[in-house]
Amino acid sequence: MNKTHNTQKAKKYGMVIDLDKCTGCGACMVACMAENNVPFKKDETNKLDSITWMHLYKLTNGKAFPETEICYLPRPCMHCEGAHGHPPCVSVCPATATDYDHGTGIVSQIYTRCFGCRYCMGACPYHARYFNWWDPVWPEGMKEYLSPNVSPRMRGVVEKCSFCFHRYQLAMDKAYHEGRKELEEHEYQSSCTQACPAGAITFGDLNNPDHQVHKIARPDNEHGGKPSATNVFRLLERLGTNPKVYYMSSREWVRRLGDNYLPHEKTGEIALGKQKGHH
Amino acid sequence: MSTPDDNEKKIPSENHDGEKEGNATLGFAILFFMAGLIGSLLVGWVVFPKLLYSQKEQPIDFNHQVHMDAVSDGCQSCHFYREDGTFAGVPTLAQCSECHESAQTEDPNEVKFVDEYVTPGKEVPWLIYARQPDCVFFSHAAHKEMECKTCHGDIGESTSLKPYEENRITGYSRDIWGDNIGGFGKNTWDSMKMDDCAACHERETGSKGPCFQCHK
Amino acid sequence: MKLDRRNFLTLGGSLVAGGVVGTTLSPLPWKLMDDSAIWTQNWPWTPVPPDGAASFNHSICTLCPGKCGITVKKVESRAIKIEGRKDFPVNQGGICILGLAGLQLLYGPTRIETPLLKTAGGGFKKISWDEAVSLLAKKLEELRSSGKPESVAALTGSDTGVTAALIKRFLFAYGSPNFISEQTFKDTYKIALKKMQALQGEVVFDIENADYVLSLGSGIIEGWDSPVKMIKANSALKTKKAFLCQVEPRLSMTAAKADKWLPVIPGTETDLVWGILHVILNQALYNKEFVAENTTGIERLSQLAQPYTLEKVSAATGIKSSDILSVATQFAKAAKPIAVCGKGQGSTPESMGHIMAVHALNALMGSVNREGGVIALNPASYISWTNPEQDETGKNGFGKERVDGAGKGNYPDTPFLANRFISAINGQGKSPVEALLVSGSNPLYSFTDTAAVKKAFEKIPFIVSFSSFMDETAKVATLILPSHTNLERFEDVSLCLGSGKSVIGLSTPVVEPKFDTRHTGDAVILLAKKLGGSVANAFSWESFEACLTETLGDKWESLKESGFLENPESLIAAGTRIDFSVVAEPKSMAPEGDAASYPLILIPYDSLRLAHMAVGSPPFLLKTVEDTVLKKNDILVEINPQTASKLNLSEKKYAMLKTPKGAVRVKIHLFEGIMPGVIAMARGLGHTAYDDYLSGKGVNFNELIGPMEDPISGLDVSYGIRATLTNA
Repeated sequence: MNKTHNTQKAKKYGMVIDLDKCTGCGACMVACMAENNVPFKKDETNKLDSITWMHLYKLTNGKAFPETEICYLPRPCMHCEGAHGHPPCVSVCPATATDYDHGTGIVSQIYTRCFGCRYCMGACPYHARYFNWWDPVWPEGMKEYLSPNVSPRMRGVVEKCSFCFHRYQLAMDKAYHEGRKELEEHEYQSSCTQACPAGAITFGDLNNPDHQVHKIARPDNEHGGKPSATNVFRLLERLGTNPKVYYMSSREWVRRLGDNYLPHEKTGEIALGKQKGHH
Repeated sequence: MSTPDDNEKKIPSENHDGEKEGNATLGFAILFFMAGLIGSLLVGWVVFPKLLYSQKEQPIDFNHQVHMDAVSDGCQSCHFYREDGTFAGVPTLAQCSECHESAQTEDPNEVKFVDEYVTPGKEVPWLIYARQPDCVFFSHAAHKEMECKTCHGDIGESTSLKPYEENRITGYSRDIWGDNIGGFGKNTWDSMKMDDCAACHERETGSKGPCFQCHK
Repeated sequence: MKLDRRNFLTLGGSLVAGGVVGTTLSPLPWKLMDDSAIWTQNWPWTPVPPDGAASFNHSICTLCPGKCGITVKKVESRAIKIEGRKDFPVNQGGICILGLAGLQLLYGPTRIETPLLKTAGGGFKKISWDEAVSLLAKKLEELRSSGKPESVAALTGSDTGVTAALIKRFLFAYGSPNFISEQTFKDTYKIALKKMQALQGEVVFDIENADYVLSLGSGIIEGWDSPVKMIKANSALKTKKAFLCQVEPRLSMTAAKADKWLPVIPGTETDLVWGILHVILNQALYNKEFVAENTTGIERLSQLAQPYTLEKVSAATGIKSSDILSVATQFAKAAKPIAVCGKGQGSTPESMGHIMAVHALNALMGSVNREGGVIALNPASYISWTNPEQDETGKNGFGKERVDGAGKGNYPDTPFLANRFISAINGQGKSPVEALLVSGSNPLYSFTDTAAVKKAFEKIPFIVSFSSFMDETAKVATLILPSHTNLERFEDVSLCLGSGKSVIGLSTPVVEPKFDTRHTGDAVILLAKKLGGSVANAFSWESFEACLTETLGDKWESLKESGFLENPESLIAAGTRIDFSVVAEPKSMAPEGDAASYPLILIPYDSLRLAHMAVGSPPFLLKTVEDTVLKKNDILVEINPQTASKLNLSEKKYAMLKTPKGAVRVKIHLFEGIMPGVIAMARGLGHTAYDDYLSGKGVNFNELIGPMEDPISGLDVSYGIRATLTNA
């Protein structure tokens, strides 16, 4: 019997994205689409109905020429832990079609269970969830490249980034087969991490001090995983969603865009009082 | 339905006969109720399953027992783990052909297998009793300390393949829901629905497990 | 008992009640509910991808000149995912967006499935390979027997590798000098090396080891040179805090990531280089040791640089004098500075005057043939065939003048002039080209002045396309001999890396050919054999694979095994001393059109998210294109809000864009990151071929611009054109 799942030390898979290295090339987006059987349509210019689990946002400092600066920000699902494993989306799902895995920290999405009410989309502050308004259609012959490791979705369900969880499943299969119960850091890496030509994405277990993600972000796991490394931040930190995707930028204006700062508030300093009353 | 006027007129005059008549009606009513009850129970328990499942014959009547006697490593001789830890499931033609390049016996099933599949190089369209929906990720490797029988039953000892009963609505094998249409089963392998997996996980690990443990 | 209405209802009710109770106690409703729930999860049109044994197969991606190692994941015979190969020296596991989407090309609907012949009605009909090759052989035989073998030409995307060599060999034996290949900025840099150092070699820009990079509009992280290698180099610069200065009119991604962005008026980049040369020479900031030992003619350089004072350069370029001075001094003070050019992805050649000035700048700092500098390498020389015997017709034909005039007269160092090839056909009278073979190139889309290219192609009586996809050029072809895609064929690649390393790689097929296609090399061999005589004799090989095996000799087996071989010895090509005296006198290259009628300058911009050369963007790429670039079928043109308000243009509103070459309807996108007076448009849109996922979306930039000929090389060095933008 699979007793291993409980005896294993809990993992907290997460990501650090170095925005100084990110070039906005879009490889992460396509690496994700190609890995996860993401459908596409003839017109993808309406970004409200265009499904991109990994999405690149273009940020600008809002200044006029020639002081303008731009920066790309890749946005996967943040796999929020919330306060105690209650991400915003999981809390509102009436169908238990999405749940939080305390063993890996991954927020699932079960397409066959979802009935498309889209509460989760409303609840997600990161716009990480997408709705299938249409049945996916692949042109003649193109179904050939579909991966058997990720179930294709149907019309009427919500989908989102899974941190390529099927890769974890396959890596664990191999580990079990070899008589192991733990994975090496390199054995489970998301498709975007692997593809990024700039090496801007780092993926691993935030609970494991030997993993790169932990070394770079230095999450304070006692305090909701708040990053303690300089220049590292999370999106909408003070919402208390406790996301597992960390960003790095040497530019202050980029870090400030990560949250709703009032003019007098200092970047990276979050008034703790505001986090009270979350429950 | 009667009006209040009707009742006033009829009740006094029909008192005696009415009682007799009423008893008879009640008797008949019970009879009819029973008929409806038994009829529908029969429909639900006997007719419905017959209508729900279509019967399909396997392309080759495979004899597991004969093969079990011939191989050295039990089930895993043919149903093995690949090097990457994934489970190969039903053997491919290439695997079978390693031994059956030509018929080794005069068994009509083997002859048929060689003539219709091995020689033309055509994969056998086996009907898989344990096939789960696409959204299910089942890790054989995670369960490898268990006996195959726990989930797959005595198929390894069978001498012939039972008909494949396909659910006309879902397209899956009857074995997933279980032979008993009521969902009752004595054995661990009698049904393989999500609740069965969850019940075992709860029993053995203390938790039903997160969704992604078995979904993809 | 009478069966009156009352009894009937009572008994009927009982029966129904019994039925209801019985049904409830039976599994029927519950099972049906469960089954119908499952039924709704399994629509027959939702695909269930078949599972099976997974395998990982190495190859090399040849979709762009970058040549990254790839690992293709297969499930049984299906390729399901392309990933970067971790141990490949170019990309070390990284991969670009186009490479990742490669399976959409392989399995896509625009593949050409069999040889096709144009019908009288303008459609295509399927024909067999034998018919197709016979037909082409008949046509070529006719031209040959009428004594005009030189009227056959071949146009290719690149002139390296065995396939290109086979086409060249075919033309040689057949009797035509007209092999033409597209040229990039790198080819122009090679010409500069030839002129200044008398060396013939490949150029490598060792950016990752530099500590100060001066980029003159090169989209270092947007697909310039070898895209993944360069993105990696950029990350290396970030890690070691090296300095990147980007000179460009628009805040491109490279500019956005740079430590310093210097917006420059389009076309005045050369003035800036001379301004920097002026500072470095005047203040004697150059590497004196290197200059003394390795160069000649510095006096001439100083002389040429003299007029380029800070004030003059500032006025011309729009860059502040203080910025020019600080860039010049920082560049000179850096330990390993490098200056690079080739705008955007570098797919367009640069003017020789510009390149020679840039090379002079590198040479002054000693950044030539050293780590972190410009390195010239002897190309790998595994193709060592001897020239075949020509018969009389072959000899005569081959000896004729090239249609494009390259390699002679005014352009002795330019090997191919695709732009002059087009204009020669468009000249007076009959087309000098009667049959054209097109391979690995889509001129009807990717050459500037699409209308003129179209006109030229209409004049050519017989066009053969070897494309795998129904692209713009294939659509007008008389005959299509479809090639395998990059994942279905063998292809040799020669790679030059920084630090003097060179690598030979072998792109190996990872899947069986999906359709009735043939390797272009095989098609050429078949054709030669069909023609017979000395042409057939030039091709002793049975097939392309046999030819490749023989050519690679003892390397073949190990290449098939490991995919690439590093050349153990350093291949740095020394050449002679760098001669500054041949550096061309600076000459301004103003964009076409007069400033009075066309007050704006339109420039293109490149992005990795849109392929703009021979390969069309697959659907996944279009999904990543922002709605500020393309909205529905409308392309958006970037304009500075200041300029827009003067012209009364506003965000997302329609406008007419007019250049001396054409007019199109566009939408407006206000962008603070572009110089006032300059407008920019993405390259890679406006296809008229391919499928509904790409065709008809936006505008092809090449329709709006014409070739701008460099006086020294004769190449098309157009970088922009004058334009107007009015409310529509």
